[in-house]
Amino acid sequence: MSKALPYQDIQTIYFAIAAVVLPFAAFVINFLFLGKSKLSGWVSTLAILVSSVLAAIIFTRVWNVQQIHVKQIWFRIGDSYLYTGILLNNLSVLMLGLVSVIALPVHIYSTAYMKDDAGYSRYFQYLSFFCFSMLALVVMDNLILLYAFWELVGFSSYLLIGFWFDRANAVQANKKAFIINRIGDIGLLTAIIILFNQYQTFDIERLFKEGGLIASSTIKNGLWISADIQTPVIWQYIACIGIFLGVAAKSAQFPLHTWLPDAMEGPTSVSALIHAATMVAAGVFLLGRVYPLFNPAELTTLAVIGCFTAFMAATIALTQNDLKRILAYSTISQLGYMVMAMGIGAYATSLFHLVTHAFFKCLLFLSAGIVIHQIKHIKEDNNLDIDPQDIANMGGLRKKLPLTFIATLIGGLALIGLPLTSGYLSKEGILITTYEWAQGKGDMMLLVPLFAFFTSCLTAFYVARMLLKVFFGDLNLQFLNPEIKIHIGDGGWRYKAPLVFLALCSLFPFFSFNPFLHEETWLLYGFSAYNSKSVFDIMHIAIPVLVNGASLLIIYYAYMIYMKRSTIVLPQSGLLYRLSFNEWYIDRFYNRVVVKFVLVLSDMAFWFDRKVIDGFVNLLEKIGVFTAGIASWFDRYIVDGILHLSAVIVQAIGGFARRFQNGKVQYYLFSMLLAVIVVFILKILIWN
Amino acid sequence: MSIVQVLFYFMGLITLASALTVAISKNLVRSIFMFFITLFALAVLYVLALADFVAVTQIVIYVGGILVLILFAFMLSGKEALAAAQLQSNRFISLSNLPALLLALLFLVVMINVIFKADVSNLQWIKEANGVKNVIGSNESMINNIGINLMTRYLLPFEAISVLLMVALVGAAHLSRREGTRI
Amino acid sequence: MITLADFMIVSAVLFCTGMFIIVSKKNSIQILIGVELMLNAAILNLVAFGKYDRINNSGQMFALFAIVLAAATTAVALAIILNVYKQYKTIDPDKIKQLKD
Repeated sequence: MSKALPYQDIQTIYFAIAAVVLPFAAFVINFLFLGKSKLSGWVSTLAILVSSVLAAIIFTRVWNVQQIHVKQIWFRIGDSYLYTGILLNNLSVLMLGLVSVIALPVHIYSTAYMKDDAGYSRYFQYLSFFCFSMLALVVMDNLILLYAFWELVGFSSYLLIGFWFDRANAVQANKKAFIINRIGDIGLLTAIIILFNQYQTFDIERLFKEGGLIASSTIKNGLWISADIQTPVIWQYIACIGIFLGVAAKSAQFPLHTWLPDAMEGPTSVSALIHAATMVAAGVFLLGRVYPLFNPAELTTLAVIGCFTAFMAATIALTQNDLKRILAYSTISQLGYMVMAMGIGAYATSLFHLVTHAFFKCLLFLSAGIVIHQIKHIKEDNNLDIDPQDIANMGGLRKKLPLTFIATLIGGLALIGLPLTSGYLSKEGILITTYEWAQGKGDMMLLVPLFAFFTSCLTAFYVARMLLKVFFGDLNLQFLNPEIKIHIGDGGWRYKAPLVFLALCSLFPFFSFNPFLHEETWLLYGFSAYNSKSVFDIMHIAIPVLVNGASLLIIYYAYMIYMKRSTIVLPQSGLLYRLSFNEWYIDRFYNRVVVKFVLVLSDMAFWFDRKVIDGFVNLLEKIGVFTAGIASWFDRYIVDGILHLSAVIVQAIGGFARRFQNGKVQYYLFSMLLAVIVVFILKILIWN
Repeated sequence: MSIVQVLFYFMGLITLASALTVAISKNLVRSIFMFFITLFALAVLYVLALADFVAVTQIVIYVGGILVLILFAFMLSGKEALAAAQLQSNRFISLSNLPALLLALLFLVVMINVIFKADVSNLQWIKEANGVKNVIGSNESMINNIGINLMTRYLLPFEAISVLLMVALVGAAHLSRREGTRI
Repeated sequence: MITLADFMIVSAVLFCTGMFIIVSKKNSIQILIGVELMLNAAILNLVAFGKYDRINNSGQMFALFAIVLAAATTAVALAIILNVYKQYKTIDPDKIKQLKD
């Protein structure tokens, strides 16, 4: 785009580049100059602080004002020009702001949380590198670079999950995350290749803008028709499946969700930033970017998968005892909501939920981090052999950690979706839209809002269970080990400030001045293009009321179970319980079937390699040796033989000639006479 | 067949037989004496060829000179040489003699072939000699004529050969002198 | 009448015998005898053809010269043989291979 931009736009672009590059600069500085220094934390934090300020400025300039897209030729292959550039539209500035704003409190938090860790500097290198990748991912204007940063995000996630690489679990977890992400990456790459083949461009704006290449291409008679290329429609399906695989791997959708719970092996602050708020949102972000590619049938599939993921993850979260695992499954569940929302066409609501979820999930994780940190302190002070993440050991912490309790409460309520929180706004939006979408689709599709609704109830239950077990009642540890000493607290300002900030952001005023009506959220108007219908009817009141009523009932029920122990104790051995506790056996299924299958396949390949290929190689070797033997034989007996023969002939001739020079007078005479007689005989013969 | 012819064939036979005996004989002394016979028989053949003077010279020089010389040399060469000469196992037909024998036979065949081909009796100059009666008769002596020719026509070769003979004899004497008498 | 061819045949046989002796014998004196035989074969031819030159007697003259020369050569040859014998203690020509002192 060569037309001159106004000065302010150019400045905006420079700001965007600076916002992206600053974390990278921090990474480089940390990596090169600040080996083990504690300064590295502050360098990274400063970088992300500036980035977030810049992001905020960019946000105000671009949001609902204009779209800025600059690009220049990157390189050329044949007649295909590849451009690189920066695309700033509502979606990217939203993500830009979100990532940097979430990253900032996490950075501050991390400087305190990781201060005693041996890999402090390394941690901030990774963190800065991640921020760079993520920020670059959201502003890139073409699919190639998007893919590159997509990979880098996965890679830095891999590094951070395996941050404590001396722990076997962490190594297993990061390997798993990496491998599963790889499946998604392959899908995404396939999709990008197909799209390039179809449209001859990687440019996101040209492809996906309103009335862009994708919008103008049609599917007719089994052919996928774009401007100048027609391909069988199967390619369009493959592209969508590829994109979906990418989304599923990054955003932990069924069936590629299993890495996310394991990823909790990383530091909790990392879980907060990456595996709750930002990186997992990359999948949803990608969906937002390529949204026009999906046709209604595919969107429906997407919705069903998202709904199923949400439901499945919620059921698993019911019975987990590991604090971070509960949060991880709730993340999967919420991501399922987002994908479902994308599927039903509630594009704006989905992104809205993405934003609100980022804040309150980050808040929850940071709080959980504090809780775990403090339990670990207790463990280390008293030499207990306990799992600091097990909620069975906790209880009554609200008095010890008041701020953390309040923060977690806000986060939990937002997660459930109770009024006055941001979660209410986005979640009710999704539920309502889902219901409206399902109305026109027949009875089967009513299952989707039904399940979404049910999931919401389950969410209420497991959040209540978690909150009650952690913060209410009495500390189970003290109950089990009465003699232990407990000196714990909320920690310094570096713990508190992020919690306060995120807690405030999880409340309604940040998004809407009307705490009960999601339609009034300013964020939604940024994506009006996709906001299909906003007919206000009775359902918009009925559904929130119904959902919240149910949630309150469930919370009360949970309270009765866990606090008063008055109601029936839930059976801990039923089929459903085991299904939930063992995470639907999906992991086990993967291990038993997929991994085993792969291993068997590798064994077969190994066998094939050893027997057939090595055999072939050995055969070649034997043939070579045999040929060499023949050659050697030939050399020795034929070539050398010829040489020897010639030598022998020469020797014989020499010997023969030598005999004439034997010094015997009579022999000379004889020879002479022989010559004479021969001449005579010849003369006679000629004479005749 | 005249008596002359018979005599010729007889003497020719003796000549050849003795020569062959020389060739065959293992004994050096015997071969020397057979050579003696050969030379005499040849002298007879010279007589039959109407060359009386040559025959006489043959006997005088060969038998009286050369043969005696050979015998002297043989004697002088000492007992070892004699023994070595006697010991030689020189069979006429043996593998080592075969090439020589073949060569000799080949020469013989070629020469006889040449002799019959040449038809020497009808050569031009012989016919001319017959025509002008330049042929020695069987009953005339050529000694006079030879003496005259030697002193007139062949004087130069005669003198040359006498000098040569002189030189040869001096040389032979020089060669055969004893080591100790070196001047 | 004795023809020329008769003489020549005798001469040829004599010549070949001499040649055989020269080539095959292992004794220098015998070789010398062979040489004399060959000479005599030649002289026989000279004499036989000399019959047809009554005036000049060229055949007989050269036969005489040849006889005299043969005597000279024989004398020299025998002297050489004696010297060789002194030098090598043998008169076998096969064993006399060295020309050095």
